[in-house]
Amino acid sequence: MTPSIRRRGAAAFAACAVLALAACGTTSENSGQGGPSGGAAPAKCGADGKYTIGMSQANVAEPYRQRMDDDIRAAAATVPQFTVNFADAAQDNSKQVEQVDTFLSQQIDLLIISPNEATPLTAPVKRAFDKGIPVLVLDRKVDGDAYTSFIGADNVDIGKQAGQYYAKTLLPNGGKIGVLKGLAGSTPAKERFDGFTAGIQGSKIEIAATADGDWLRDKGQAQADALLKANPDIVAIYSENDPMAEGARIAAQNAGRADLPITGIDGLPIESGGIKAVSAGRLSATFIYPTGGKEAIAAAKSILVDCKKDLPRTQTLGTQLVTKDNADQVYATLNKTN
Amino acid sequence: MTDVAAAPDTTSVEEPGPGARLIASLFRFQSLFGLVVVFVAAVAYSPVRNGELVFLNSQNLFNVVRSISEIGILAVGMTLVILIGGIDLSVGSVLGLASVGAASLLMVNDLGVAAAVALVLLIGLGFGLLQGFAVAKFGIQAFIVTLAGMQIARGLARIWSGGQGISITYGDGPANAPVAFSLLGERTFNGLVPIPALIFLVVAALAVVLLRVSAFSRHVYAIGGNEKAARLSGVPVTRVKIAVFGICGLLAALAGIVHAGQLNFGAPNDGAMYELDAIAAVVIGGTSLMGGRGSVVGTVAGALLVGVLRNILALNNIDSNIQLLIIGLVIVLAAGLQRLRPASAGT
Repeated sequence: MTPSIRRRGAAAFAACAVLALAACGTTSENSGQGGPSGGAAPAKCGADGKYTIGMSQANVAEPYRQRMDDDIRAAAATVPQFTVNFADAAQDNSKQVEQVDTFLSQQIDLLIISPNEATPLTAPVKRAFDKGIPVLVLDRKVDGDAYTSFIGADNVDIGKQAGQYYAKTLLPNGGKIGVLKGLAGSTPAKERFDGFTAGIQGSKIEIAATADGDWLRDKGQAQADALLKANPDIVAIYSENDPMAEGARIAAQNAGRADLPITGIDGLPIESGGIKAVSAGRLSATFIYPTGGKEAIAAAKSILVDCKKDLPRTQTLGTQLVTKDNADQVYATLNKTN
Repeated sequence: MTDVAAAPDTTSVEEPGPGARLIASLFRFQSLFGLVVVFVAAVAYSPVRNGELVFLNSQNLFNVVRSISEIGILAVGMTLVILIGGIDLSVGSVLGLASVGAASLLMVNDLGVAAAVALVLLIGLGFGLLQGFAVAKFGIQAFIVTLAGMQIARGLARIWSGGQGISITYGDGPANAPVAFSLLGERTFNGLVPIPALIFLVVAALAVVLLRVSAFSRHVYAIGGNEKAARLSGVPVTRVKIAVFGICGLLAALAGIVHAGQLNFGAPNDGAMYELDAIAAVVIGGTSLMGGRGSVVGTVAGALLVGVLRNILALNNIDSNIQLLIIGLVIVLAAGLQRLRPASAGT
């Protein structure tokens, strides 16, 4: 008898625990008031409304995407009408589709999405758009034209500017260099490389070797190790992002080439980001790859609060060269709350 | 004298009273009860829009079912493998391989839907059978074999697709998939019930029947309970094991076809960690990782439980990191409950 009572107690405990867990889920805002944001009125806008924005992020495990969320959070905090709900798909297309659908159940007023991949997310984005919900697509595009506005940087252009920096400033007399590329098959890896080769066109710079570092610091280090062993005559390394460049710096130090010029891309304005690495002298230069978070909230504000309808279809964000001269100043500017 | 006295004793052990039986079934179907609890909690804590509970909105409920259907299909196969005391870590990668295969055969090779689906299912079946063969014939641990299988399937998916996802577009001409395949993509039957959910239900129902009526069922539970004893009592252990891994591979391929259809995309990198989600559903469903104990019904309820929990947490805007903590706690709780399960509770 005793054991059965104990077991029933355990089951009851389990039930309570699950209930308690769900209870932590309640927040004041969802306790019942539908609020003015309810209903399917697509053209609803104005300064006196309250708006819920759904932000669907592909993968916050990447520092760049975490920063994008942070930028959105910070910018939205300055707009009293906005509440932003964040979802993280953890690099899973299916999960992101589900999360967009959950946003639709929640009847959000505007969707911001940074898609994990274009095609799989096209259908849910279209579902939202067809319901009259404005959709801002960040960083990576979706197929077709069922969205309001795309905000992102141009990787080809960034690569090109990096190439020109090599040709004009870093190695005006030319030389052999190594290239660390991102994940094979990913669009930015190709674009940053194509742009770079266009940028060094006509100079005496020769790409002696390339290797795939998969965007990762440890992989970048391993590949740079091999690169430096196989090509001891290279005079600089162009890395397609900052973490791989940081890895390459360690490899260069291990190879007794501590002063080898290495550049990256991304320039995240965080403690562990590329700008700080340039400031500390580990990277020779980096190029800012803006998150577009701030611009997205500005666009959301002009749609929902200012009732503007003529948003540009594409907003291309420019890059900025960060060297030791301006690193601290750029860092401060990008972290200024305004 | 002693024989007579002992007889009633043994029967009383084998046939527990109604109270004990109730407890046994409580534990056997813990995830069903857990599902009810989570569902009730979800209703109680659902946000309200325009006087309607968002959670109970039919669109939302079908989103939940659709979102777990792929994991659910994987988890049914995983249940069989775990029942024989094995594990299959390759299902997520096989899902990715199958989604690439389906997309490629439809778009690049211009096969019809039936041919493409059959071919991909065959690939999954073959992959599973090979793994089962390695486990059963060579006695390599399932963990190791399927760990290798996971790498191999992922590598094959990347090679087949050239590392790039393959978009699926519909139409009549070449380089288009037959419109029939978009049944999976349009995602609903009668405008409401998602096709993937129907497929999941059919798969689960077939598995339940298979584990109820057939000799195969007795063999599966016998191998999981005590493989040596099963072999000695004439169970064709090797054959059953190979078959179980084959079924698991087949179902992983089926889930991959559903995946490709839902996303209109064959994605070589998709399905990562799905094997762990499937194992979680099985564990929450009350199936013992030691084998021999568990049920498909429990697994289905386990998958639904996770789906409902994720949905209600998302509807309430719980931070995604907190969601991970909560789901992790539920898995531990479910496994902990199984430790309390009375030994006499049977399968």
